[in-house]
Amino acid sequence: MVLVVDDDSQDHTVELSRKAGATVIRHVLRLGTGGALSTGFRAALKADFEAFVTMDGDGQHNPNEIPVVLDPILKHEADIVIGSRLLKQSESMPLFKRIANRILSIVTSFASGTKITDSQSGFRVYRRKVLEYAIHGAWDYRWASEILVQAAKADFRIKEAPITAIYLPKRQRGAGVKDGLKILHSMIKRPENPQASCKAKPKA
Amino acid sequence: MELYAIAATGLGAVMLLLTVRELVRRKKGLLQYSLWAMLWLAVILVGTVPQFYFALLFATQALGMYTPIHFVTTFSILIIFATMYLLVKRVAELNERVNRVVQYMAVNNVDDNISDSRRRKE
Repeated sequence: MVLVVDDDSQDHTVELSRKAGATVIRHVLRLGTGGALSTGFRAALKADFEAFVTMDGDGQHNPNEIPVVLDPILKHEADIVIGSRLLKQSESMPLFKRIANRILSIVTSFASGTKITDSQSGFRVYRRKVLEYAIHGAWDYRWASEILVQAAKADFRIKEAPITAIYLPKRQRGAGVKDGLKILHSMIKRPENPQASCKAKPKA
Repeated sequence: MELYAIAATGLGAVMLLLTVRELVRRKKGLLQYSLWAMLWLAVILVGTVPQFYFALLFATQALGMYTPIHFVTTFSILIIFATMYLLVKRVAELNERVNRVVQYMAVNNVDDNISDSRRRKE
């Protein structure tokens, strides 16, 4: 099942997604990337699936690589798999983004106690029990690090798989300097967002 | 009567009447009403009794301000900053609530779609 969260977009996302057979969830107001993700998680948990793959909506991720990130979940080696853009071909990522990503990944690794090379990647797989335990509270780009810290603190296993990222010459939106500083600030000051919904950790 | 006095008295009287009307219509609380009423009364007094300014002068000098206008501008700016802080805080709280409502609506609207998808899968 493919679930598309339309964060009040002004293009033809809804029509095209429905035409392609996806289930579409619409926000009547723009909430931000973190808000779209948490809406998707809440909705997806209503369906009876064991694992959830997330991808960004800007065409950066290649769906053919889903088996690569899904593999550690199927082998019961991890509870969260991050598709890392920096494990191979990291030159394709713009230099500024690469430096910022490296800094944020170091800070996130420190806060979570797990080595992470690409903490801001949106191409991930979550096992159901992870999302049943915690869904991030941030509405913006802070979600990416926040959910990893929450999961790591609850002893869920985090693993990375190499992916390739497609950087289109004209990107409409994306995390900027302000978002990077906000992530850095939240990781240093309060890695675990009190607004996040955390429940008792289910037994493995 | 000087022109400024007529303007101040007129403005104060109109605003006081509007404030009273707001109270009668229960659109303002008693505390909020009292503060505004005091302000408009002071404006009327400045217009009708010019000596009131000198009374204010003593009061403001006692507070360490050179003239009443210094007092008014300084405290107005301080009050504006405090009000801005409270407003920004309130807007952030409202934004959080609006986001939650938007998300709640979105997740609940998708219920049927997910059920359909599950049926299709089965």
